[in-house]
Amino acid sequence: MHALRSPIARLTALAGLALALTAGSARADLAIGDDVPMKDVKMAGVDGKSVSLSSVAGKKGTLVVFTCNHCPWAKMWQTRVTEIGNAAGKAGIGMVAINANDPAEYPEDDMNGMKQRAKQLGMKFPYVVDATSDVARAFGATRTPEAFLFDAGGKLVYHGTIDDSPKDAAAVKDAWLKDAVNAVSAGKTVTTAETKAMGCSIKLRTKTTS
Amino acid sequence: MLLPAAGVVLLAGCGHAPTGGSATRSATGATQDTLPLEPVTAAQVHDRVREPGARATVVNVWATWCGPCREEFPALVALAERDRERGLRVLFVSADFDDQAHETRRFLAEHHTPGPWLVKTGRDQEFIDGLDRRWSGALPVTIVYDPAGKPVQFWEGGADSARFAAAVEPLLTTQP
Repeated sequence: MHALRSPIARLTALAGLALALTAGSARADLAIGDDVPMKDVKMAGVDGKSVSLSSVAGKKGTLVVFTCNHCPWAKMWQTRVTEIGNAAGKAGIGMVAINANDPAEYPEDDMNGMKQRAKQLGMKFPYVVDATSDVARAFGATRTPEAFLFDAGGKLVYHGTIDDSPKDAAAVKDAWLKDAVNAVSAGKTVTTAETKAMGCSIKLRTKTTS
Repeated sequence: MLLPAAGVVLLAGCGHAPTGGSATRSATGATQDTLPLEPVTAAQVHDRVREPGARATVVNVWATWCGPCREEFPALVALAERDRERGLRVLFVSADFDDQAHETRRFLAEHHTPGPWLVKTGRDQEFIDGLDRRWSGALPVTIVYDPAGKPVQFWEGGADSARFAAAVEPLLTTQP
């Protein structure tokens, strides 16, 4: 207490407090082996139907990709994400693409933009809005694109990016997500369970609490 | 011993005239075309962080395609200029692709960005985990280091002037 009487000590203490607050507010990423969070929350899709993560789950697993329309990073991978999602559906893995961005920040990320993008890409899976961004919060999703793959038991078996070459599909050496989907559909263990890549920060909707 | 003008030291280290900021303000059309970008790995960023001469070092990874990065950028440039004499060193690291160098240079010049003008190189995952394992990869990311190179603040996403200032102020006011 005595030391805090000095201005420097007080500033140092404040810095420590700020650091503690920063650490305390860190996102809670899902860990490998965790269950699907918020799986019964309904989310509106581009086809006018609402789905939940439970309702899209396949017999062999569930693939959730947080994405959006405006992000250059998401755009670079969007064709590959669509191909992987469409193939996953045929292999018994339910796929859903979730847009958790606030369209107030990026108008291109509104439902009309989503409808156009889904049609353009030929998505054969739901592209839905996380209208409160709470699903993204529950996943600890921070960027687009960011993929979460769950096995038949609803346990997280892969979390991360799509592959190692966002700009050039022909130059991909490590097709992490595709490989993980193939492993799950074959009932095998995912070799690389966690990967990272840069991406656009998800612009979460402002939390409204009563 | 801490040098009072860490930014100037860095400019000198990059081969730019240590003119106390004039080099950073030479954002003319010519500078825009010739501004030297320096590819760096995460380890090389850490080497820069550990160089003596700063009471606080801020590493900010940004990209021209990243909206929140563009929004917060002027505030951090202003802070870098304002507190340089107090020992603040700011390292901007672009995450743009190689073929975006023109856009990177133009943005840096337009914002009178103090050097060094760093550009991330290598595979994403190596750079992300090499810089800080807490980093998910989302941009922007900001890390504040103490004079010993220890990270004392870390956050993802955009910030404003107040947050940047609050993050470095305790370090700048601490006696060496």
